[in-house]
Amino acid sequence: MAYLIFSITLMLVYIGLAQLLHIQFGMLGIPNFGIVGFWGLGMYSVGVLNVQWDFSFIPALILTLLLVALVANGLGRLILKLEGQAMLCATLAFSAIVALLVITEKWLTEGVVGLGTIKYPFDAGAMTEPLYFLILLLIVVGIQLFINKLHVSRLGTLIFSIRDNEELAASLGKDTVKIKLELFTLTCALMGLLGALSAPLNQFLTPNMLVPSVTFAVWIALILGGKEHSMGAVLGVFITFGLFDLLIESYLPVAPEYAVMVPNFKLFLYGAVLVAVLMYRPRGVLGHSAAGARQELP
Amino acid sequence: MMNLAVRNLSKSYHQHPVLNLTQASFGKHSIEGLIGPNGAGKSTLMGLLTRRIPPTEGSIIFEVEDKHHDLIPLSSHQVAQIGLVKTNQRIQGFESLTIRDSLRLACTPPTQETLKSVFSKEQLSEAVEAEIDDYLSRFTFNEPDGYARSAGEKKLLDILRCLILKPKMLLMDEPTAGLPEDVTQQVMQEITRQTKANDMRIVIVEHDLELIWSFCEYVHFLVDGEMLFEGKPEDVKANRVVAEKYLGL
Repeated sequence: MAYLIFSITLMLVYIGLAQLLHIQFGMLGIPNFGIVGFWGLGMYSVGVLNVQWDFSFIPALILTLLLVALVANGLGRLILKLEGQAMLCATLAFSAIVALLVITEKWLTEGVVGLGTIKYPFDAGAMTEPLYFLILLLIVVGIQLFINKLHVSRLGTLIFSIRDNEELAASLGKDTVKIKLELFTLTCALMGLLGALSAPLNQFLTPNMLVPSVTFAVWIALILGGKEHSMGAVLGVFITFGLFDLLIESYLPVAPEYAVMVPNFKLFLYGAVLVAVLMYRPRGVLGHSAAGARQELP
Repeated sequence: MMNLAVRNLSKSYHQHPVLNLTQASFGKHSIEGLIGPNGAGKSTLMGLLTRRIPPTEGSIIFEVEDKHHDLIPLSSHQVAQIGLVKTNQRIQGFESLTIRDSLRLACTPPTQETLKSVFSKEQLSEAVEAEIDDYLSRFTFNEPDGYARSAGEKKLLDILRCLILKPKMLLMDEPTAGLPEDVTQQVMQEITRQTKANDMRIVIVEHDLELIWSFCEYVHFLVDGEMLFEGKPEDVKANRVVAEKYLGL
């Protein structure tokens, strides 16, 4: 039971990251390949403040949010004017820098030895983990409500226009640079928040948590679910993380003699689903034709 | 009094000069034309004026309603905000916005496009919606609440999007390219009406010379990045240099 709660709480973190990527890439067109960087910066920042400098959790969380927002804003100023592919490389490089600094700056992060233990911000006995799950659920629901509002708002229309043709939007008097920077800062800071909240979940932080495969897992989930649809992120993570990592890997009832095959079987099935979706629904399970994208949204 | 004045404006790509204007000014007449052979630098000039293209050097001053705007330090959205707007030669649009949403986008003030506004219920004013309805009733689109599908519809939408911004000066880069003849006439009548009603100024870049002669009060003739001649349409038509370089007479 404890493992299940841990797993679905972690799944909520992935849903949150995918939702934020939906705003960044699906709506605004910023290809952020540095998700693990913002998430990891948040996680390690809370870890360092909490373990090394004895901050209690809530002040550490607030400082972390400010730090990640500041870093995202600085990075945004440097890269948001670039072409898509350059932004992709820059964000990927950013996440590599974060991961490397965590290894090299041992005085701060304990390097490869690892940093711990980060306790939950409250102690409710056996109810601690379920309550923590509820907090993350609230955050994810909150982000989803924001996305739904954003899709039908005037700002949403402006965001879609920037994704479609930024130069044209600017020629109509829209300060596209400012809007992009604001949204990039906000969404990256929220990625940092999810990282900060992941710290007590993992309890012990090591640099090998900051590998690019976190970024790729979020990207695959979003693309699979449908990057332009407001619910694409949620569905995508349910399929990738929920169905494969959780259900098949951990809870599929198989005879012990076949259990050894499960990981390979899972990988095979995962690949098959990915190929099938990309072949028959290239815009994701919830995606539709380019021109109809907005009409059918909630 | 409106004046868009250019001094010593030049643009070079990799040391290859495409525009070198000592002096030019637009906006003294309500509709002006800018003509010249292909590659003369007409579109480059329009891009420079709206700050979409950075100039190599020179100054651009926009005087409107007793205000004096130096356009060089501004970015393109700021130029649009002070009332200098351009329609596009190349077909451009927002593929995920409906025709109506596209016009709404142009009308929405920045205060309704902030993060805070996501949670407010504030809508566009009824007057603005009525204006959009008015445009959509007078100009025919196949599906006004759907998407602009044909090249003609996209081009028309591009022009309407600029008109609904109520610019002080509108630059039109080949407005008739891609527009059916009857729509062209309708657009020209509309802008003529608006120059009178709203004191708007128009500069048209066009290869359709019949249109230039019949609508423009003043014509600029650009060749190889330099303004060779300017004057009333009859003077431009009669000019020997224009005839040789462009009209092929």
